[in-house]
Amino acid sequence: MRRLGRYAGSLVVLVAAGLPVAWILSLSLKSPATVTDKRLWPSDPTLENYRSIFGSALFTRALVNSVGIGLLSTALAVALATPAAYALTRLSFRGKALVLPLTLAVAVFPPVAIVGPLFDLWRTLRLYDTWPGLVIPYLSFALPLAMWTLTAFFRGLPWELEQAAQADGATPLQAFRRVVVPLARPGVLTAAILVFFFAWNDFVFAISLTSSDRSRTVPAALAFFPGDERIRQPVGSIAAAAVVVTVPVLVAVLVFQRRLVAGLTAGVVKG
Amino acid sequence: MSRFRAVLLAVLCLAPLTACGGGDRGVVLHWYVKEDSSGAYRQAAQRCADSSAGRYRIRVESLPQTTDTQRELLVRRLAARDRTVDIMGMDVIWTAEFAEAGWLRPWTGAQAAQVSAGVLAGPLATARYQGRLWAAPFTSNTELLWYRRSQTPDPPTTWDQLLAQAAALPRGHNEVAVQGGRYEGYTVWVNALLASAGAQLVADADRPDRARAALADAPARQALAVIRRVATSPVAAAGLSVDTEVETETAMLSGRAAFSLNYASLYAAVREQQPAQLADLGWTRYPQVVPGRPSRPPLGGINLGISAYSPHPAQAFDAAACLRSATSQQLAATRGGIPPTISAVYDDPAVVREFPFAALMRLCIEQAAPRPATPAYSDVSLAVQQVLHPPASVNPDRDVPELRRTIDAALASKALL
Amino acid sequence: MSQQTERGATVWVAPPRRPGPRRKRRSQAGHRTAWLLTAPAVLTMLAVAAYPVGYALWLSLHRYDLRFPDQRGFVGLGNYAAVLTAPVFWTDLAATAVITAVAVTAEMVLGFVIALTLRRGLAGRRAVHTALLLPYGIITVVAAFAWQYAATPDLSFFSDRAWLGQRWSSFAVVIATEVWKTTPFVALLLLAGLAALPEELLDTAQLDGASGWQRFTRVLLPGIRPVLLVVLLYRTLDSIRVFDTVFIQTRGANGTETLSLLAYDQLASRLNLGLGSAVSVLLFALSAAVALSFVWFFRADLRELSRGGR
Repeated sequence: MRRLGRYAGSLVVLVAAGLPVAWILSLSLKSPATVTDKRLWPSDPTLENYRSIFGSALFTRALVNSVGIGLLSTALAVALATPAAYALTRLSFRGKALVLPLTLAVAVFPPVAIVGPLFDLWRTLRLYDTWPGLVIPYLSFALPLAMWTLTAFFRGLPWELEQAAQADGATPLQAFRRVVVPLARPGVLTAAILVFFFAWNDFVFAISLTSSDRSRTVPAALAFFPGDERIRQPVGSIAAAAVVVTVPVLVAVLVFQRRLVAGLTAGVVKG
Repeated sequence: MSRFRAVLLAVLCLAPLTACGGGDRGVVLHWYVKEDSSGAYRQAAQRCADSSAGRYRIRVESLPQTTDTQRELLVRRLAARDRTVDIMGMDVIWTAEFAEAGWLRPWTGAQAAQVSAGVLAGPLATARYQGRLWAAPFTSNTELLWYRRSQTPDPPTTWDQLLAQAAALPRGHNEVAVQGGRYEGYTVWVNALLASAGAQLVADADRPDRARAALADAPARQALAVIRRVATSPVAAAGLSVDTEVETETAMLSGRAAFSLNYASLYAAVREQQPAQLADLGWTRYPQVVPGRPSRPPLGGINLGISAYSPHPAQAFDAAACLRSATSQQLAATRGGIPPTISAVYDDPAVVREFPFAALMRLCIEQAAPRPATPAYSDVSLAVQQVLHPPASVNPDRDVPELRRTIDAALASKALL
Repeated sequence: MSQQTERGATVWVAPPRRPGPRRKRRSQAGHRTAWLLTAPAVLTMLAVAAYPVGYALWLSLHRYDLRFPDQRGFVGLGNYAAVLTAPVFWTDLAATAVITAVAVTAEMVLGFVIALTLRRGLAGRRAVHTALLLPYGIITVVAAFAWQYAATPDLSFFSDRAWLGQRWSSFAVVIATEVWKTTPFVALLLLAGLAALPEELLDTAQLDGASGWQRFTRVLLPGIRPVLLVVLLYRTLDSIRVFDTVFIQTRGANGTETLSLLAYDQLASRLNLGLGSAVSVLLFALSAAVALSFVWFFRADLRELSRGGR
């Protein structure tokens, strides 16, 4: 009986979480003729929508922009946050107590609050509708996220190993390279994935600070699909594009599942 | 600073698909215009470039389909003093705003005369502001009432007849499809109803210091009462409050709607997707609000403006003059199904073959009511949507004074909308 | 919204301080190294966030409309007066509050139920975790479209109703999307909180013969309270800035416009940076007020959490 309950519980979660994803997948496989057939499963699946979006620069350029801007933001955020998180965990210095609260304050503000000032700055610096014009604001949420994930992760590491290495005669730098770096790698990877998810997801900055294929990312491009005549059939095309941009998320979730859960919940678990 | 700029430029050039460095054969003009899937605009651009003897080439930069998003993208580029915008396909409602903000170069002298020659008065007026010509009229448009001949042998001439005839048709096939979503299309509807009733949204629109809400009481109430009657009628579309041109077209194609108020593109959609139904598709003039008083249909279309920040104004003016020529308009009409602004093009046999309704279209465009030519137009439109949306909530007694107040605030462009 | 949604999942959960590694390196040189390592991150944060926020404050005190460049000038609190006297500000505040209250409540309840169920062990744990992470990782705009199409009569596989055509059903769709997207995140955090509870606590309760309900209210709930509060605060702040879902599904129609959307309209389509910044600053102040009052009211719980447990 209890066993049955466990299966039923799992089933409910799987269906609730998966149904909307299955629905968008199903829509993406319907042709213009069957898209309004109101069926959950496509009766006559076709890849037409995928061909249409991959034939449209609106989507392919957006995909390139999304990947490029996401990777750049992630790399910058992790590169800046890792040394800081290391210092916060391992070293003591004046002003240290202020750093994490500052990070926290930055993480709280609504993104739309800085859209106006950024637009005004970007138009004078000629950063409007460019890659850096998005990467920079992305740091405003990517950096706090990376710093907190990494600080939480570093606090849980067995630092005794570093000390042991130094006791064995290694210089601090050697100890750092041989012991700390390998230990830290999984944490950095987790932080990077979480940061990438956020950059990949952003919509507010993407529609406010871009105006063309030059730097428009996929979420913003999706908002322009309806009525775009290059997109023959908006519903199917949006659905197909949605599926395409969900694939990397799915892969990351499948491959790094345990690490992501740990990274998300680091602060609580380690309590 | 210059070093910083140089570094920045280098970074931008690294970003893929950024055009850095020019061509060596003439200048490249960027023409921002609403996407046209037929290829007519591109063909016109090519033809003009070919006839320029190498002075310029034209790169067509597509804008999204809805006027609100087109404007958002262009306006932000202009505010950023973007030098890659040369020619703009401007919705007829933007002229005053763009001119007042200093984003346009006016047309003058012989070229102004050239691009005004033979143009229908309504479309020409939309390109003028405070006595100057700011853009070259290129395409026009108006809404017709579309219906099925088999269903409706005797098409209605007033809104009340329209609702009554629809109500008499079988359920599931009797919707009246009109743009009730919260976007510019709704303001189009409101403005056409007001004008048809004899009211006006804004008085002295082109004098920012004197502009104010007009809205003569009785006709304004009559107009708003129509919205209410449509929205609360059993034949209103279920999604009226979110419907745009796309949904109202689909409703006609799917058979859900018996009537659709829509632009010429509906005819092209039926011809393309349901050719068998084309013979059954009927059209008539926009309905009247006051029986016997001729309706004032909506006026749409695109004017070609030259950006104040364009580095190549001379070539841009020449190119725009070529793009709006009768030949290009004929091409846009026959290939893209887009109504022209030059009167004579409506008589072209090829155009008549494309638009069996060409004569009615021209008549409606001549008698259409423009939306107010105020630099704060987009604010006024937001004010209309804010007060009168959703359609079912319209209450003429309460909303006429409310609308007047909100529009006055919007005209000062200092109010929250 | 989830765009910035789970931004800084761990943000609210202060990592525990371990006494161990703290005492090291207090020398001047160590000091300098520490700052060299930290400064780039701190300065970047100040540059990309604090500076624009300060600039927004400055803009909000000016008439600064890019369409009327000649009229630029200082207006004091004029923009704030215009915002606070506009009915639309209050309607949008109410819409934001409705979405936040209903969505966050539903997420907390559902998330807690899922966490409890997961704790007791479910079949196919891996599959369940994947299923939970999927809504979390999916792009909010995509989720918004999926739910929008499911609520559109010509497309939907289950309904003939124009859900987005009326006010309250529009809210229902927006809220359902938000709940679907963020409940998994809430559940995972609460599950982590539950996992950190000492087993003995429950065992003792069981020996004492406490009923299931009593165990829940007397042992489980107090034990997880700090984590619960942190998640609640986090989700509340996140929901106050909801944008993506509403933008895609209704574009603010039918009374569903939120404060973020209102600010966006003034800024991005009207180019009235002064007025838009005033809305932004108020939205920012609202978030800060919620955060501070939360921290104040529950300071004891939060202190316990940052001490790293019992």
